[in-house]
Amino acid sequence: MLRFGPDTGPVVVVALPLFEEANRTRAFAVTILRALAERGIAGALPDLPGQAESLLPTHETDLAKLRAGFAAAVASLTTPVVTLAIRSGTLLDTDAAVTARTHLSPMTGADLRRELIRARQASARESGDPFDPASLDTATDPVELAGNLVSPALLAQLSDATPSLEQTRTVRLATEAKPADAKLPGSPLWRRAEPDNDPAFAQAVADDIADWMATCAA
Amino acid sequence: MQPDGYNEVEETVRGVLRDVLGIDAARAATFDEATPLFGALPELDSMAVAGVLTEIEDRLGIIIDDDEVDGDMLETFGALVQFAASKALS
Repeated sequence: MLRFGPDTGPVVVVALPLFEEANRTRAFAVTILRALAERGIAGALPDLPGQAESLLPTHETDLAKLRAGFAAAVASLTTPVVTLAIRSGTLLDTDAAVTARTHLSPMTGADLRRELIRARQASARESGDPFDPASLDTATDPVELAGNLVSPALLAQLSDATPSLEQTRTVRLATEAKPADAKLPGSPLWRRAEPDNDPAFAQAVADDIADWMATCAA
Repeated sequence: MQPDGYNEVEETVRGVLRDVLGIDAARAATFDEATPLFGALPELDSMAVAGVLTEIEDRLGIIIDDDEVDGDMLETFGALVQFAASKALS
């Protein structure tokens, strides 16, 4: 688990999105945590089961293991925790004992499934190798979607998974149509084919979280 | 005569191409109705198409059915804007 900032006070723990979007948002998340550290707020970035440096193969993880892994990372900290969950990372902080949640551009599991299927269909059109989305519902072996081997259990769990709404502040990009508690200017780094960063957006997210934590503490 | 809101849709689609494909703003600003897209923009491969369509959905608050996606709507900037406008302004 990467740690940033002071050893005392509340900790902001990041839940990165699942699959490819984790790679696209990791540098951005670290930039936010560094910006929070400059504001005197501690931060942490755990690797969850099947993600990043985890030894568990990606196709052996599922939603229950990811949520339990995140809850365990939070429980290992001795100070109050506020989450910063990004995109499908908002499906992972559900079971953790946290003071509050910040959800950046949250999405449902059904949205994620739809995007994975759309990407898989696009690659199927390019390769000429036919793909039937209905095959996902009957699969018993891991399925390759957008370059990831995904367990059928995780795909099934995603169908009705939604982000927690308890103690949750929702933040979105100014360009998004869906409602939010705050909208910030920035670019959707999670969609970039080549990972990129947006330091101004990261500063704006850090400011939003710092202001909100100050309001909650007051 | 284009329907009300057409220019907003056009600027939204331009912004999506800029942000998703990492095209710089000056170059994106030169895109006009006849600018060729799929097959002409090296950044726009089939995986990127999936991201572009989903981002257009998020920004315009529309749903694009995968059955509606074909080569024609991605051929030019004008065709993609026309398609997005037909969904967003109907």
